[in-house]
Amino acid sequence: MAEEVLQDVFLKIWDKIDSYDREKGKLFTWMVNIARNQAIDKTRSREFSKDRQTGDLGKFVNRIDAKDHIELGVEAIGLRDLLNRLPEDQQFVIEKHYLKGYTQSEISEEFNLPLGTVKTRMRLAMQLLRNLLVK
Amino acid sequence: MNVEAYIASGILEAYVQGQLSAEEQADVEKNIFQYPELRKELAAIESTQELLLQQMAIQPNASLKDVILSKISMPPTSKTVPMDTRPNGRWNWAAAAAIAVAAIASYFAFDYRGKWKDSQRALTDLIAQNQQVAQDYNTVNERLDRLELDVNIINNPAFTRVVLKGTEQSPSALASLYWNETTKEVYLSIREMKELSAENQYQLWAIIDGKPVDAGIFDLTKGRLIRMKDVKPGAKTFAVTIEPKGGKATPTLETMQVAGNVIEG
Repeated sequence: MAEEVLQDVFLKIWDKIDSYDREKGKLFTWMVNIARNQAIDKTRSREFSKDRQTGDLGKFVNRIDAKDHIELGVEAIGLRDLLNRLPEDQQFVIEKHYLKGYTQSEISEEFNLPLGTVKTRMRLAMQLLRNLLVK
Repeated sequence: MNVEAYIASGILEAYVQGQLSAEEQADVEKNIFQYPELRKELAAIESTQELLLQQMAIQPNASLKDVILSKISMPPTSKTVPMDTRPNGRWNWAAAAAIAVAAIASYFAFDYRGKWKDSQRALTDLIAQNQQVAQDYNTVNERLDRLELDVNIINNPAFTRVVLKGTEQSPSALASLYWNETTKEVYLSIREMKELSAENQYQLWAIIDGKPVDAGIFDLTKGRLIRMKDVKPGAKTFAVTIEPKGGKATPTLETMQVAGNVIEG
């Protein structure tokens, strides 16, 4: 399924490249958002047709077929180490968002955190990561 | 506007992550035009995200490149990419897109790694449980084997059974003894005897020709037969005394716990 998404994302980027505005942010950011939305759409539509449930992305990302399994390289271990250097609450929001595909609102609702708290934690996490990643 | 507070609220991160509503997004875009500090901070956040996602990136299957390129080249009108005028700009974005897409694939892969870890843990637990069951089975099996041997002795008519009854000092004590005069084997079965302190042990005596002969020391063991020293034919009485640990050469009669006479069958 990941490969299907990958193809769709490339085609979408190709189609929508005219709407990219460099004044509003980097191209990379723009593409990441297309990719994320495409991945979320895909998991949702797929699971929806399967068991008529929507709303909880956590349920979707935890049910991935074996054929979608992709071997992680050595880099994944570096990633673990990197995330482990964040305070627990910040690690939590980063993982939920970047690895589990939760939106900030979903994190807020599902884990009973005010949206403002999710935002400031994400901010603190990104600042720490900036220091850790840019050496 | 308080730029510091605006940045501290985390709204720029939410903007970069595509988490804002259309109005909020338009608002942020208006602000970054107006405030150079916001622009600078936005760029830094974007770079951080880019570096983070590159950490998560994994290599997609190489064959996909051809599939995608063929799909892209199919539309009749070719497109131009407006953001980069350098001659190889198209390849730049293609490479960047590959990273973006790989980042998405890592959403799944990383989650999968978690599930794999869970399975491993479950497997380790099951193996441990299995070993425990095997161990229990062995324990039970050994116990069964021993009981079988005991039953064979008890049922064997070659063994004479001697009931050892409690003496005045220990009226509730009771034990049985199985003695094979031919093979000289002696087994003891304790029904009821008191616990001893660590310094003391029980000692069995066989009275042969009116003299006590040591037949071995033992600790309180219930539920199975205890093998004692061989006793040669001629014993008329058996008795158990409490002696210092290791036993003695002659019995301390005052501590006699049980005793019984051999009834010739």
